[in-house]
Amino acid sequence: MSTFVVAPILTALFTAVTALLLHRRTRLQTAASLAGTVAYAAAVGVLAWRVALAPDPVGATTYQVGGWPAPFGITLVADALAAFMLVMVATVGVASLVFSTRYVEAPEEKRFYHPLFHFLLVGVSGAFLTGDVFNLFVWFEVMLMASYVFVVFYGGPQHTRAALRYVALNLVGSALMLLAVGGLYATTGTLNMADMSRRLAEPAAYGISVEPVVGLSALLLSVFALKAGLVPFQFWVPSAYRAAPLPVTAMLAGATKKVGIYALVRLYFTVFAAAELPVSLPLPGVDGGSPLAFFAPALFLMAVASVVVGGFGAVDADSFEGVLAYSSIGQIGFIAIPVAIGAAASSPALRRLGVLAGLVYALNHALAKGTLFLTAAATRSAVGTSRLEDLGGLASRSPLLGSVFLVGALALVGIPPLSGFFGKFLAFDVAVRAEAAVAVAVLLLGTGLTIAYTTRAWNRAFWGQQSAAVGAADVDPVQAAVLVGLALTIVAVGVGFDPVYEFAEAAARAATDRGAYVDAVDPADVETGGESA
Amino acid sequence: MTAFGLAAVVGGMFAVGTFLLLRRDLVRVVWGVTVLSQAANVYLLTMGGIVLGMGETVPVLAHHGGEPPQTADPVVQALVLTAIVISFGMTAFALVLSLRVYEENGSLDLSKLEGDA
Repeated sequence: MSTFVVAPILTALFTAVTALLLHRRTRLQTAASLAGTVAYAAAVGVLAWRVALAPDPVGATTYQVGGWPAPFGITLVADALAAFMLVMVATVGVASLVFSTRYVEAPEEKRFYHPLFHFLLVGVSGAFLTGDVFNLFVWFEVMLMASYVFVVFYGGPQHTRAALRYVALNLVGSALMLLAVGGLYATTGTLNMADMSRRLAEPAAYGISVEPVVGLSALLLSVFALKAGLVPFQFWVPSAYRAAPLPVTAMLAGATKKVGIYALVRLYFTVFAAAELPVSLPLPGVDGGSPLAFFAPALFLMAVASVVVGGFGAVDADSFEGVLAYSSIGQIGFIAIPVAIGAAASSPALRRLGVLAGLVYALNHALAKGTLFLTAAATRSAVGTSRLEDLGGLASRSPLLGSVFLVGALALVGIPPLSGFFGKFLAFDVAVRAEAAVAVAVLLLGTGLTIAYTTRAWNRAFWGQQSAAVGAADVDPVQAAVLVGLALTIVAVGVGFDPVYEFAEAAARAATDRGAYVDAVDPADVETGGESA
Repeated sequence: MTAFGLAAVVGGMFAVGTFLLLRRDLVRVVWGVTVLSQAANVYLLTMGGIVLGMGETVPVLAHHGGEPPQTADPVVQALVLTAIVISFGMTAFALVLSLRVYEENGSLDLSKLEGDA
């Protein structure tokens, strides 16, 4: 029982409320918001240090909300996986908020921007830390509620249209998630993830049947894929990403999308993997075992489709952020491919390696895409537009913007010594070890498409004659400093990859080691079972 | 019998919700989403099942003697309460969005909102 587990959520919540109370005094509000973000990063740092990074880490730690023991109360669990995701979000979050102080400047915009930003952080941190399936739903809603408002933030007709699509889809997604949660409760008799994992491992002892879990987990797969923006649930992504303020889009692509990936990994690898199914289907690649065997082919197909759709969409996009929005559909595919291969693997080592590769790629995507979206934001505030046809010659006008874009784009492609190289390398490594020729081919195709669309954006926006708008552009020094900081982080992660790898490996171990997770939560034994329905 | 009744109600609500969701009129779409989330709530309630209340599960019954009445699972009711509050907020937000769409386009017909969103 340790309070440091709940600290990130409380810090962000406190900052959000403070910023809301100070909405009439924008200077003070901005200061409070900046201080709150630093405090959030510190809280995340302490959590990650205690749980995973310290020489003698304590491992998974729980916080029982309200002092109610698991499985009756809500349990918050900080393990290496949650810590890894939180560190990723905190890095992008600090950069994005500092950047926003010079990007969102009109007082009436500032007023609600800062509280909403912190509410987004509250939702994201809660989703990473919770150990309760229904509570996960609640944190999703908190996160979505803030992101809905960000999509309509500028209040133009195109923003309303984007929000309409985004809201309607996510409301249906929420209803589906409720169905899945209710079904899981009826089947297993618990909402606590650790308790569920334990019950699924010994269905006979608790009098539950595991077959319904396959269908219910498929519902959850579609909900999480919607959050992550995997094909065929990707069509909200481009319009929503173009509508939201660009620093927030950096957060949406860097953080909220990763919540979908995190939830997939957490629920499938830590919880549902426990179940053993007697059935065997006459489908290629599906042969009973755990629900993971059913999950793997579905996720693999979605990931492959995402890489293709996102890649071709990005090649065809007409604005800077349009390229990046489609690119993030493709990149989520890159994250999901090793995860799917890991899910299909029978050996624990390969399964862990699959999750590890997905996590490293997710970190790279958060950093690179955060940098690129903020570069697009800096371009828009300096030039006044981000349409590729109106840009040109940016690199000669502002070599700094050009170099930062180059670092972000090369990290996306996967050039050493940047962070992207290891993400790509591990993804290929997993595909080759699993002897999945299709996966290798798709990864190669996706990499080719990444090179194509980043090159196209570079040629149109940064090379060539300076356009009239670009000729008068000046990059704000604070924005430039944030961009340089992020670019240096990408280089640092790539050059000093060893500690990052160890952290990611601890996270992958935490995701796949069900026993340790159940022991950490240690839910009390209850004599109910799911037969009551 | 109750189970069949509830199953029919939940199924009917999902059908109506899906039908409304696919309409062109935006207000009907919002109604569709609302009916869908209510259907999910009714479904959640049925998932708790109906069990015989005992002194151990419902402490107040232990002190009131007599035949304890049948009680429903309180956990799902807590879940439904939370879900109702969330869907209330979301419905309000969706209605405000519809109002915005009407102000901007003078129409609630979704087929007239085409364009690069």
